[in-house]
Amino acid sequence: MLTGYRKWSIIFLLPSGLFLIFAYVYPMVYSFIMSFFSYSMLIPGAKPVFIGIDNYLKIFSNPSFLNSLRITFIFSIVAIFFEFIIGLFLALAMSANLRITGVFRVFMFIPLMIAPVVAGVLWRNLFHSSYGVINFFISFLDIPPQIWLGSAQQALPAVIVVEIWQQLPVFTFILAAGIASIPTELNKAALVDGCGRMRIFWNITLPLLKPAVIVAFLLRIIDTLRMFDIVYTMTQGGPGTSTKFLSLHIYEKGLKFFDIGTAAAQSWFFLIIVLLIEIYFIRLVLRRGTAR
Amino acid sequence: MFGLTKSTVEKVLLYIICTIIIIVVVFPLYWLIITSLKYDIDSYIYPPQFFPVNITFKNYIDILFLAQEGNLVKYFLNSLIITISTIFLSLLFGSMAAYSLSKNYLSIMFRRMMLAFVLVIRIFPPITTAIPYYIILSKFGLIDTHIGLIISYVAFSLPFTIWLMIGFFQSLPAEIEKAATIDGCNFWQRFIKITIPLSLPGLAVTAIFGFLYSWNEFMLASILTSENAKTLPVVIAGFISDKYLFWGKMTALGVLMTIPVIIFSSFAQRNIVRGLTFGAVKE
Repeated sequence: MLTGYRKWSIIFLLPSGLFLIFAYVYPMVYSFIMSFFSYSMLIPGAKPVFIGIDNYLKIFSNPSFLNSLRITFIFSIVAIFFEFIIGLFLALAMSANLRITGVFRVFMFIPLMIAPVVAGVLWRNLFHSSYGVINFFISFLDIPPQIWLGSAQQALPAVIVVEIWQQLPVFTFILAAGIASIPTELNKAALVDGCGRMRIFWNITLPLLKPAVIVAFLLRIIDTLRMFDIVYTMTQGGPGTSTKFLSLHIYEKGLKFFDIGTAAAQSWFFLIIVLLIEIYFIRLVLRRGTAR
Repeated sequence: MFGLTKSTVEKVLLYIICTIIIIVVVFPLYWLIITSLKYDIDSYIYPPQFFPVNITFKNYIDILFLAQEGNLVKYFLNSLIITISTIFLSLLFGSMAAYSLSKNYLSIMFRRMMLAFVLVIRIFPPITTAIPYYIILSKFGLIDTHIGLIISYVAFSLPFTIWLMIGFFQSLPAEIEKAATIDGCNFWQRFIKITIPLSLPGLAVTAIFGFLYSWNEFMLASILTSENAKTLPVVIAGFISDKYLFWGKMTALGVLMTIPVIIFSSFAQRNIVRGLTFGAVKE
């Protein structure tokens, strides 16, 4: 009987297994091989030429790639930092169970539903330097109109604002679920023992929230590092290269200039960085036993 | 806070802060809607018009019927066909794989390896597979076809489908399946007749996340399609030109694109956190 179950189990796994191998292993092996070749699809009839690890060595002497790497990480760190702080605050506010939190739950999700390309277009309008709503609002604070997306210094912060606006629900709701799972008896006991609110927060809430925080960080790192859609409709990488995120850089290398070898090496480099960061976080999660 | 009683002052403060946040979160959406109802000329004035003076449906009529940018109905159908096929295929294959992995008929080592594999591919930045996809799909002549895009979307949504469904399957009481086995159900019958009907809420949440992903996805769509299989996000990005920004048309299409998402996802408010976290946090 057991053998019959084993047979069925394998049959059930096969479609997904074969498909995922075809969809991931094959392309990634292909891209790994191409990363050792010099191959431009732009030249008709050009054949790939083996050049060893040159494509990888070039990564470290390529200022525009390093710049993209830097921008991507600044973006990721700053966006996640603010999402965490604001999200934690909102999650605590939601745990107060006021009547408004019901409304709050519904509205908070809306940004997540909007396609990132639409969000990019929308905020491009809001940030417009001559007729944008944001310049209108800051004029009440006596701040002169800013160039925002036209300025190399302000474009990245503007993109960060949009990312925070759109992805805030992720942190908020994960942390709110985490707070809701903390037994209220713990807080009440601490209160009876004479702990103040701040001490309860630092010594009970935060430590117990740690697993939820790690999960949220993990997901947000995956998503921020792959940033593409918003920036494509908002700034298209500009001005100059000030918002050219890694995905955008590799996209242009591979599909605008068709320099397949370089794009493949950069993809692998990018992938390995992402994997290393994620493995670190996944080990944190597993050690705490929150994931299955 | 922390489920403890609080003073009136604190409550009022919380109300004020929550209201401000709701306004900040919702205002851009309001702006999206009213910009789509303005003539473009009214979008270019300063100070901005917060309440449109001349309300018009011209932008909607333009993009839906006047077909300057090609046949929008066709792109809408493309988006719909690709999204529904993606959801169907990843739910079918994904729940089968999840069922197999949630039972212990296969060795624990093997199942752990499969789970790790699924988790790792969830982490892949899409651009790293997008360029090989472009080359491979063009070899098979699948560029700018529905099938090409569906394949790459299923590749992306299968990992999270499998992870979410394992969680839902594991939370079902084991007794029901045992009873079904005693009554003579085999593996396949148990899956179709017992487990799937009991997991409908889970399937619904997973479907909504599949919908959110494939309906809104832009990068792969822009790389792998040009005209025949073009989807709505690509159309919106196409409105951006160096000379002129068609605010009205872009926002009208944005509104039309967002409505189905809001309708579908309103069915799954409850389980959404679970979906958001890839199954790691349960509400």
